[in-house]
Amino acid sequence: MSFKFPSEAWTKAYQDAVNANEGYRTHGKPWTFGAVAFVIKADPSIGIPDDVGMIMDVHEGVCRGTQFVTGMDAVQEAPFIVVADYARWRACLEGKLDPIKSMMEGKLKLTKGHLPTMLRFVESSRQLVVSATHVDTEFLA
Amino acid sequence: MEPAIELAPGAEDHGFAPMLATLLRQNLDDHADKRATALRMRGRVAMVITDLGMSVTLEFVPYAVRVHAGIVGIPDVTVRAGSEHIMKMSMLELGRFGLPDPRGEVAKELSAAERAGAIKYYGALANLPLMVRLTRVMSVNA
Repeated sequence: MSFKFPSEAWTKAYQDAVNANEGYRTHGKPWTFGAVAFVIKADPSIGIPDDVGMIMDVHEGVCRGTQFVTGMDAVQEAPFIVVADYARWRACLEGKLDPIKSMMEGKLKLTKGHLPTMLRFVESSRQLVVSATHVDTEFLA
Repeated sequence: MEPAIELAPGAEDHGFAPMLATLLRQNLDDHADKRATALRMRGRVAMVITDLGMSVTLEFVPYAVRVHAGIVGIPDVTVRAGSEHIMKMSMLELGRFGLPDPRGEVAKELSAAERAGAIKYYGALANLPLMVRLTRVMSVNA
């Protein structure tokens, strides 16, 4: 079964994929720094009239819950916020973009959060992306 | 006293320069010893990220660090490496007196990459104190 990206159903499927990823469980084990929000910037031309966010409550190698929200205000409580446009997220989900390299290029932007902490969890971030590639995804564009 | 971390005009739109400025700012906020080290640094360090075709220059002046997009001025030290290794430099393990710990996993990996020619340093030996201090302020480890 495929899930439309972005959607609440996709976000739930992503949670399952993260929790099924042994690599994330290992590398994310020391992570106790709070939820990470992934924000897709609004793009009305593909049917995203407002920014949408997926808040992943990751803790000690497990994703304890998710929220699919609309608008930047809704993600502000997350300690870490990563923002990109739809095309960049799609490339990430297809495994074509490395998350850290993309941040260095400015394609993914950490708009909130402690960068040194994020850098200590490079492999954990990669495993989050690997998990996303395991979700059967239906893209908007 | 804390050195100001400044983005040079035009660097705001560069991919890596704002990230590097954020990393330095947060690192210095977290560690008083790194702040003291940064205050003692003078000179220019250029980083060329070979696989991304990008470069940045860190200019250490009294009470400030300026991050420029591209190579600006004549660097005292130039580091040429791929993005993976440039990021690894910020994860270098520090040992006694804040010096790089050669027994660390990242240190070993970077040494091997240097021996293989994947990382090249220019001017590092002639500017060893600048290089050592750069490692200390860049590293996300205490």
